[in-house]
Amino acid sequence: MTKVKICGLMEVQHVKAAGQADAIGFVFAPSKRRISVEKAAELAKHVPAGVDKIGVFVNAALEEIERTVREVPLTMVQLHGDEPDELVQAISVPVVQAFSIRTTADAEKLGRSVADFVLVDAPGTDYRGGSGHVFDWTLLAGAGIDTSRLIVAGGLNPDNVAAAIGQTQPFMVDVSSGVETEGVKDAVKIKHFIQKAKGDSMQETIEKVGFFGKYGGQFVPETLMKAVKELEDSYTEAKDDPEFQKEYHHYLKEYVGREQPLTYAKRLTEAWGGPKVYLKREDLNHTGAHKINNAIGQALLAMRMGKRKIVAETGAGQHGVATATVCALFDLDCVIFMGEEDIKRQQLNVFRMKLLGARVESVTKGSATLKDAVNEALRYWVTNVEDTHYLIGSALGPHPFPTMVRDFQSVIGEETKRQIVEHEGRLPDTILACVGGGSNAIGMFYPFLKDESVRLIGVEAAGEGTETEKHAATMTKGTEGVLHGAFMKLLQSDSGQVLEAHSVSAGLDYPGIGPEHAYLADIGRVEYKAITDAEALEAVISFSRLEGIIPALETAHAISQAEKTAKEMNKDEILVICVSGRGDKDMATYAEKLEGLA
Amino acid sequence: MNRLSVLKENGEKAFVAYIMAGDGGLDRLKEQVQYLQEAGVTAIEVGIPFSDPVADGPTIEAAGDRALKEGVTLEKVLNEMAGWTFEVKVPLLIMTYLNPVIKFGVERFAKQAKSAGVSAVIIPDLPYEHRQLAETYLKKEDMALVQLVTLTTTEKRLDAILQEAEGFVYAVTVTGITGARDEMSNDVRTFMRRVREKSPVPVYAGFGISKTHHVDLLRDDVDGFIVGSAIVQAFYEDKIEDIKPLIEAVTAPNPV
Ligand SMILES: Cc1ncc(COP(=O)(O)O)c(C=O)c1O
Repeated sequence: MTKVKICGLMEVQHVKAAGQADAIGFVFAPSKRRISVEKAAELAKHVPAGVDKIGVFVNAALEEIERTVREVPLTMVQLHGDEPDELVQAISVPVVQAFSIRTTADAEKLGRSVADFVLVDAPGTDYRGGSGHVFDWTLLAGAGIDTSRLIVAGGLNPDNVAAAIGQTQPFMVDVSSGVETEGVKDAVKIKHFIQKAKGDSMQETIEKVGFFGKYGGQFVPETLMKAVKELEDSYTEAKDDPEFQKEYHHYLKEYVGREQPLTYAKRLTEAWGGPKVYLKREDLNHTGAHKINNAIGQALLAMRMGKRKIVAETGAGQHGVATATVCALFDLDCVIFMGEEDIKRQQLNVFRMKLLGARVESVTKGSATLKDAVNEALRYWVTNVEDTHYLIGSALGPHPFPTMVRDFQSVIGEETKRQIVEHEGRLPDTILACVGGGSNAIGMFYPFLKDESVRLIGVEAAGEGTETEKHAATMTKGTEGVLHGAFMKLLQSDSGQVLEAHSVSAGLDYPGIGPEHAYLADIGRVEYKAITDAEALEAVISFSRLEGIIPALETAHAISQAEKTAKEMNKDEILVICVSGRGDKDMATYAEKLEGLA
Repeated sequence: MNRLSVLKENGEKAFVAYIMAGDGGLDRLKEQVQYLQEAGVTAIEVGIPFSDPVADGPTIEAAGDRALKEGVTLEKVLNEMAGWTFEVKVPLLIMTYLNPVIKFGVERFAKQAKSAGVSAVIIPDLPYEHRQLAETYLKKEDMALVQLVTLTTTEKRLDAILQEAEGFVYAVTVTGITGARDEMSNDVRTFMRRVREKSPVPVYAGFGISKTHHVDLLRDDVDGFIVGSAIVQAFYEDKIEDIKPLIEAVTAPNPV
């Protein structure tokens, strides 16, 4: 796939907008886009890992180039002057040499370049073959340039970039003025350009195997690779098998009790005084939360693969209960890893799992919460991989898990879409869902991703506040990294150690977020907000009393944010909250935290 | 890393020792490396502590936690190694999970590891499919990215992995995580033979090697052994002399 470089960046907001590009350029030569080394170093801090930082120079001395490489730091250098070969060769990072091509002689010069990449500046080129200036690509073909070294620049913009790529198949395209408005970079145009260059439809990007933009992948020990690949193959095949789909939907209807209503929340709507509020009632599912949608799907798949042993992790215990439940239903062997901390705060669910016949293993390592339970479940899987399926509980882990979990949870959004049209004759304006690992949210959002009029908001846990160290606000505070098999966003220290998350809600107490969410945040399709423990607990009370539904603590985060968002909305608008689960499991916490409730 | 191939040609077995950098404080690393090279090991893997070491068993995880409590980071380990003035006589490897490397910057890591005298890197959670992420930069610095193969690696993958193998191949003896074990399954010998027949580079058995009888069992089917948990624990308990017989069992000229 052709890479994208956004050149001549001068401001943090534009560097951020270029986060999905493969390279960004800083200009150090005289130009209206010239910046100082200090400024570039500051901007470089906002460039994600893996994105190349390219410095542009014209006839600079080696010492100056090398000093800039060190101080920014740059990963590549681009030369636009008459730099001699010795200089090109002396530079310590890969070099791009730029050429303006008018004649065969120019092309030959380019053919002889000793640089790692050659950039062809072809301004005024009309790639659509119209009446404008057409660059003569045969000049290049004659010079024997191999396109794997070729970077195309000059006159590119969001409208012609796809055609330019189709025509020249270069290693990279480079744009600067084409993503500006009145001489200044334009964040919207930058994103638009990248999207166009990387393939127009969001679907295409999303389905690129195992990756959502740059997030995802299969970062697991070699022992698991066979199992992960087998799962990938089996899932791909099962997904398109009508029999499998029929069986899955059969259990959703007859066992889980779907479809769940989309309830109009009359009193809440009145109390908030804003949009019409609807509630998607995942709390009514058998076992009390959305988790069972996924557990049913994965258990059916495990059996299809001939695996009758299941290992799972659980935070709040909801996924553990859902897994223990389907294991009882299908007579599967079941081991659940759960952090010691969570075992304490979710006693009732521990007992439910045991009653259902599961073995619950207490995890005392690390923070003794969800992250550590996932570690133990992965270790158990590594050791028992030949006959065991890892039934992961959120949109996390190595591919295909994030995609598969999303698909099994998409029933939430699909039903909602149909129901809201039945009730209101149109799509909602805003949808909110809480995010731990991100499964209920992605299940709710996915069917709406292409409906750009629908604002999607994921709500994470701010714990005691995002300004403290005790929170689980991965989107607000996290940075990119690899945990539990995927490249995603994480709460981590400067040295790359994963930090302990904190939330009063066990189900949101995780220091990462699923790769698809990380991607959707980057492209700006979904917004993420954070709600504190205290705000969530307040929402539990008001929601219970207004609607007669005691929500799960996780869900309460979405409700609390919904109240804030509703204040910015009009009466003729529609807001939907995903009520991911009911509060039975949290009764001990409620009793303790809300003591003296009047 | 050429030294390893020479060893193989001479029919000698390699002993690769794994240590957790900073277990007991970072200043111990130097002593430990010196001790091991004097004791006759072939190469040393310096482990970088990580908060979520999913490929490791309790011994190495506990050592990593102790090192993290000491404030050890990838950067500190590389700086420490770069500052060594004694003669390092054996190849040094870095064994690290991917995330600390990503956070540090892969390219910067490759450069600094090179300056610290590292000749190869092992990243257990970076599978063959994603190897470019690190390999490109390591190659530039002339360092090898050692690949792992396991009992569950399919034939096709094995061929692909071995074709590009550099330094040595790390052949995992168990379906599981690191940690000392008593027994070793019988399939292991067949597996090692299969790998060794195909591999252009030496094949070393690792994970669970802790007893001389493991060495005896696999000796004829591998080019060397990697010992981790047993060494980490011995250093921790101040009983490193107990490891000597194991080193000797491996490096002694062919027993009759
Ligand atoms: C009721 C409920 N909602 C939400 C979550 C968060 O998980 P996810 O983000 O995967 O939906 C949990 C997790 O345990 C839960 O039990």
